[in-house]
Amino acid sequence: NIPLSSCFLVFQRRLYAAQAARKVEVAGAAEHVKFQPQEVQVTKLPSGLVIASLENYSPASKIGVFVKAGCRYETPDNQGVTHLLRLASNLTTKGASAFKICRGVEAVGGSLRSVTPQRFQWLTYFLPSCLSLSSDTVMEYLINVTTAPEFRPWEVSDLTPRVKLDKAHAAHREEIGVVEGLHAAAYKNALSNSLYCPDHMVGNIQSEHLHNFVQNNFTSARMALVGLGVDHTVLKQVGEQFLNIRSGAGTTGAKAQYRGGEVRLSSCSGLVHSAVVCQSAAASTGEALAFSVLQHVLGAGPHIKRGSNATSKLAQGVAKATSDPFDATAFNASYSDSGLFGVYTISQAAVAGDVIKAAVAQVKAVADGGVTAADLTRAKAQLKAQYLMSLETSEGLLEEIGTQALAGGAYHSAEAVTSNIDNVSLTDVANAAKKFVSGKKTMASSGNLVKTPFVDEI
Amino acid sequence: MASRAPAATGRLLLGFRKWYYNMCGFNKIGLMRDDTIYEDEDVKEALRRLPENMYNDRMFRIKRALDLSMKQQVLPKDQWTKYEEDVHYLTPYLEEVIRERKEKEEWMKK
Repeated sequence: NIPLSSCFLVFQRRLYAAQAARKVEVAGAAEHVKFQPQEVQVTKLPSGLVIASLENYSPASKIGVFVKAGCRYETPDNQGVTHLLRLASNLTTKGASAFKICRGVEAVGGSLRSVTPQRFQWLTYFLPSCLSLSSDTVMEYLINVTTAPEFRPWEVSDLTPRVKLDKAHAAHREEIGVVEGLHAAAYKNALSNSLYCPDHMVGNIQSEHLHNFVQNNFTSARMALVGLGVDHTVLKQVGEQFLNIRSGAGTTGAKAQYRGGEVRLSSCSGLVHSAVVCQSAAASTGEALAFSVLQHVLGAGPHIKRGSNATSKLAQGVAKATSDPFDATAFNASYSDSGLFGVYTISQAAVAGDVIKAAVAQVKAVADGGVTAADLTRAKAQLKAQYLMSLETSEGLLEEIGTQALAGGAYHSAEAVTSNIDNVSLTDVANAAKKFVSGKKTMASSGNLVKTPFVDEI
Repeated sequence: MASRAPAATGRLLLGFRKWYYNMCGFNKIGLMRDDTIYEDEDVKEALRRLPENMYNDRMFRIKRALDLSMKQQVLPKDQWTKYEEDVHYLTPYLEEVIRERKEKEEWMKK
């Protein structure tokens, strides 16, 4: 009996597959539909909500809600609230319980996440991806999560172990400590806030903190609803109907004030991670592009796995100073009103001073005009390739559209961005390097700091 | 006449409830009705969710009641819980827990 029934099953499945295959053939032969490539469509609603979408005919769609509510909008009273908020994306809402959100999204093969893509800029976007057919279901959860969270006290206090876990993970990675320390030392406010909940606030963030933060920051004017593989009119309807609950601009965040300073984190590690930076330019300015090109002139990381980094000016310079293994890359971060540019080095503790000084000397050489036209062309090609490759993944594209939609309410095509990169000249790059050389420095270092110089010694 | 009838039954029912409440007797050792619910899994979860001050009050009442019951005493009559003052402080939490459990059970049936 058993072999017979299994035979039957196999047969059935094959029949089904054959049918399905024929169907596709027929459809292909009859219609010959040619999908026209579509542009990104952006609409700004009267409430200030920005809707952006791209129909890419993908069978799976992605929808994200971007909210201008990163940790830079935290105040001393609610530090760490955005860390909790990231973890709280699956808690009970007014429309659906935590259980329903979790199982419902799983049932349609979707995923729902909330992340902080760019350190401090825009916190929290919720990103479900699923088959287009079931988008409606997931959309419902997404709207619930962003507009009607309940933050029940017991659910919030249950998050404390997860906050601790996140912090423990971060503590194992020295680069996180260095970059967090760097921002804390570089700024007086706003951008100095950490991505992670500070120790004194762990377990002290109550549901009222979360409610207040959402009330003040999750307003229509500070949100963008971005979709890939969805119809623009549908997305617009959703935005008009559901994401309109809080109007106004919410609390305005303070403008970032640069101060410069130093953070030294001693540890038992044999390596020294160190970053030396100065204030650069705000994102979406021409100067910021010059800094990006400069980053690639100096070297933004290996292009070939375990390669020798021969095109990196930093690697060339530092190799002359030490024979020990090291890593030297240019650090570049730009935010809506400020930015940081500098060098990030990892080296053996004994030669840390030599490595850092050699790396900074390379930036000085660029400022003094040590860049050839060939270097510039190579750097531009690398930067363009990196930008275009980041748009190749749907997540990268979604993030880029969302970030631009929130920043300016418009989308600049990849062609426009690459032609802007082409317009960067040798003098722009040299001026950017000069700004680093003359600017007030900030330094963060971590590891065995016996031989690591202080910021005033560089 | 017809319109007055429900009010009359309401009053009668209230009177009966009060009488029944006092007959139960737990009010004489200072307990509230929600203090006497049997602690199954649902109630334990609901208790976990209680705000701290409510939880502390509950613990106080229960300890006082245990003490009195051990001594075979009741509180002086002016300290008895009155029917009007009995708040069903746990019920909303308990209902929520039960609703969540039912939701899970419904989902599992599918």
